[in-house]
Amino acid sequence: MPNNGKLKKEHQKTVQELETPEVNMHVDPEKLETDPHKERPFGREYLQARNKMPEKQLFSFAEYRAQDAERTGYSNYSYWKSVWANFLKKKSAVVLSVVFILLFIFTFIAPAIGKYDINMATDPQNRAYIEPNSEFWFGTNAIGQDYWAQVWYATRTSILLAVLVSIGQIALGVIIGLIWGYVRKLDRFFTELYNLIDNIPTIIYMTLIALMVGKSVVTMGIAMIGFGWLATARNVRNLVFMYRDREYNLASRCLGTKLGRILFRNIFPYLVSVIILRLALAIPGTIAYETTLTYLGLMDIMQPSLGMLLASARAVFPRAAYTLWFPAAIVSIITVTFYLVGNAFSDACDPRNHV
Amino acid sequence: MSEKVRPSVDFDARAAKVLSQEPLLSAKEVEVTFSLRGNKLTAIRRASLDLYEGETLAIVGESGSGKSVFTKCFVGMLDKNGSITHGSIMYDGQDLTQLSEKEWLKIRGSRIAMVTQDPMTSLNPLKTVGKQIQESVELHQGLSGKAAKAETIRILEAVGIPEPERRYRQYPHEFSGGMRQRVVIAIAVACRPQILICDEPTTALDVTIQAQILDLIRKLQKEQNMTIIYITHDLGVVANVADRVAVMYAGQVIEIGMANEVFFDPWHPYTWALLSALPQLGVKGEKLPAIDGTPPNLFNKIVGDAFAPRNKHALNIDYLEEPPMYEVTATHQVKAWLRDPRAPHVDQPQAIRLLETQDGQSKGTDPNAYHPHLDPAREPLIEVKNMQVTFGTGRKKFVAVDDVNFTIYKGETFALVGESGSGKTTIGRALVRINPITGGEVYLHGEKINGKIPRELDTRVIRSCQMIFQDPMASLNERAKVDYIVSEGLINYHLYENEEDRREKVRKALEEVGLLPEFSSRFPHEFSGGQRQRIGIARALIMQPEFVVADEPISALDVSIRAQVLNLLNDLKKKRGLTYMFIAHDLSVVRFISDRIAVIHKGRIVELAEAEELFLHPLHPYTRALLSAVPNPNPYIERTKQLLVYDPSVHDYSADKPVWCEILPDHFVYGNQRELDGYRNELKL
Repeated sequence: MPNNGKLKKEHQKTVQELETPEVNMHVDPEKLETDPHKERPFGREYLQARNKMPEKQLFSFAEYRAQDAERTGYSNYSYWKSVWANFLKKKSAVVLSVVFILLFIFTFIAPAIGKYDINMATDPQNRAYIEPNSEFWFGTNAIGQDYWAQVWYATRTSILLAVLVSIGQIALGVIIGLIWGYVRKLDRFFTELYNLIDNIPTIIYMTLIALMVGKSVVTMGIAMIGFGWLATARNVRNLVFMYRDREYNLASRCLGTKLGRILFRNIFPYLVSVIILRLALAIPGTIAYETTLTYLGLMDIMQPSLGMLLASARAVFPRAAYTLWFPAAIVSIITVTFYLVGNAFSDACDPRNHV
Repeated sequence: MSEKVRPSVDFDARAAKVLSQEPLLSAKEVEVTFSLRGNKLTAIRRASLDLYEGETLAIVGESGSGKSVFTKCFVGMLDKNGSITHGSIMYDGQDLTQLSEKEWLKIRGSRIAMVTQDPMTSLNPLKTVGKQIQESVELHQGLSGKAAKAETIRILEAVGIPEPERRYRQYPHEFSGGMRQRVVIAIAVACRPQILICDEPTTALDVTIQAQILDLIRKLQKEQNMTIIYITHDLGVVANVADRVAVMYAGQVIEIGMANEVFFDPWHPYTWALLSALPQLGVKGEKLPAIDGTPPNLFNKIVGDAFAPRNKHALNIDYLEEPPMYEVTATHQVKAWLRDPRAPHVDQPQAIRLLETQDGQSKGTDPNAYHPHLDPAREPLIEVKNMQVTFGTGRKKFVAVDDVNFTIYKGETFALVGESGSGKTTIGRALVRINPITGGEVYLHGEKINGKIPRELDTRVIRSCQMIFQDPMASLNERAKVDYIVSEGLINYHLYENEEDRREKVRKALEEVGLLPEFSSRFPHEFSGGQRQRIGIARALIMQPEFVVADEPISALDVSIRAQVLNLLNDLKKKRGLTYMFIAHDLSVVRFISDRIAVIHKGRIVELAEAEELFLHPLHPYTRALLSAVPNPNPYIERTKQLLVYDPSVHDYSADKPVWCEILPDHFVYGNQRELDGYRNELKL
């Protein structure tokens, strides 16, 4: 049991210290209600005024304010602000995303500062495979073109292709996945559709399309989107199951909210972190996929892309090793960047990581 | 009204016993801090507590008061990010705060054991129940092989599990909730601990099961001479079990004393508020004395008495200085400035006197109250005829609701009471058409609203029937601002002229439920349970409905918040002429709020009557069992109550088919001719 006598004595002392003439407590009530995020719902002035109170006043009733009671216990929080703050805490991810943005901007500047144009005349006899030097900064390729221009042009193409294809894939996958997961009646249909497409290796579809429709970058890009949504859709569908029958969705149904709005406002926001991660990983994935397709001869080789450069460099490796190093380095940077940035951003999006 | 209830427990003798002992466990000025991503949260703010041998101590408090964290310190089970930053816990000559993990192994489980709230999470679903208990027996009693198995079966039997031999080989999923909790208790007592900490052991269980579990723990306590700490927010449980009661608020013990002292002579304004807010003590038709606001945020530094901003009796000093512990009697201490000799005299609130003098059940019905169902010109709002709801198909078909009939009149509060799994929520959801019904009809104003209906009627039904959900944590979209959540219905049907009009409507709706208009730009997680529930109410009311299904709207809320929400629902009903269907499992709340009560068991309504009539003349054996288990906040009554157990096999419906019969005007009961005759005899008809 606590020692009451001792405690009481201590308090008497402190109270006596407080004994001073009556304090007139005229504090502007408007002022008191301004900031609910302060330690206490009153301003500092108010506390100071109270600190000077004489004992009699201390032991008289304080004014009761129902609003103060309502205000206890708040934090100032905004979802996206916290996402951003958390992301900024991961220094490596921030640095890498700056590097990537600079790299992408540079792909537009680089061909202009290089000495030769992307379309320079070919001269396989005299200029094939010249090692990098002050004239040709990245050397030349098999047909005597400036490799600097080729690499940066290819980087730009690949990044654009990868970003567009990934966004397309993820957007399609998310939309289908949301409907697939939420609308019970369509579950069977989408499951069968998924099985139908997924059971045959995508490379076979791609070969057929390349041979029958064409190998242009646009065609292949669309084809990649057309088959790339599957994994995302299934992933999203499984996640939707977690949220589908939560009470807040029942409430929305009860309020007559339309399907599209429920999907977009009630479920999609919960999946943001997963979607961002998938998007970030899809970008290097698409670059790798494009490389595979080029290697198999399913992509138009008139348009230089990183995949095409890598494919042709492999043929002459290790003789003209530099033709491999440059595009490979860029692919590595992109892959690592998106992996780390994607992870960091997706962690930052997860509200469990917010305070 | 005025005679005191005959004491059924001698608290004075127990108090004398407590005073004659040295404490078994003594926590002094314990401070626990958690670090959450850079922020410091002080969950326990220098709390002290003594525990005496053989006693049952109940720790009461709302969520976040630190009651769980405090007791977790006694078993060394604080979460990794938390630590004891001050104080000591003396037990058996050693300071528990200084123990290493290795030393803890000797104490945790074998000397001090713990039973947690959710039996499913504390059992391993991949091991048989027998093995799990046996593990504990082998580890702590040093038995092995056949002896261990025999001991395990003995324990299973001791905790009241029938057919222990067969149950030994079963897995947790084959047990019901109550049985699982018995298993968890069996594991905890298997090693014969000196102290058993029960953390909300019955919160997840139905009232009838709850009473059985409490009896079981009491029996085991007597057999093994254990000292028990109950952590609970339910004052009925406290009244049932506790010798001593400690009330916690914002990480401190603010009042502690023998159960009779805390219940009948409390001195902390928070304890007053907690007790007066009990619906059992309320008068129907009148406001309950509610506590405004929410508990403080422990991330912030707390100056003075943490309860001050919510305290209607707060003194100026409460805002400045933390009160010391004042002694009321040798066993009763209070941490409130009101006990200081210099403080003005304040009488205990009326409700607390009521608790002592009457039997604690809501006696009063406001004589002038209007009961819509008694009005000769009563107008049926909702009519349900032969409703059936089934889930699944073929062999897995499950009938959740079967042949249910009732009428809800305009302006009344119709309560649906039953245990978990009885189908009450299913009926509620079927009425607002979230669950489709598989048989029967539902009428609104005489129009059939189930099945395929025209679009225009559909819109009208949505606007006039709304629902309030049980779990305020799950029923709000965490990723949307309050503004969107509240105006969702408006947006769906474009019920506003322009953006400004919409915002104005949201502001009004928030004000109506007692929230500040500026809350509209915040996200739900910033609010406490009670505030979130009010946001949910605002969302439903903005549609201007006439009928609202309230699905256990207060069961997930803290005691101090419940009264707020009940008052709000009653106010809104008066102001807007709403009709409620109030779904609940707690009869005491229902008696306070509803005009008529329907009791549902296994998908069937077994009895339906006017609220007071049902309490006076319960006919169906299930209703009687349910009534006998209602927790009572008066310790003397709670401890003498006779528990009736409902056994469905008393009904013999093989030849004589049961019917839904109006045995008295407005009193319906489900039974066959023989039973109905029996009921008529009892009623002397």
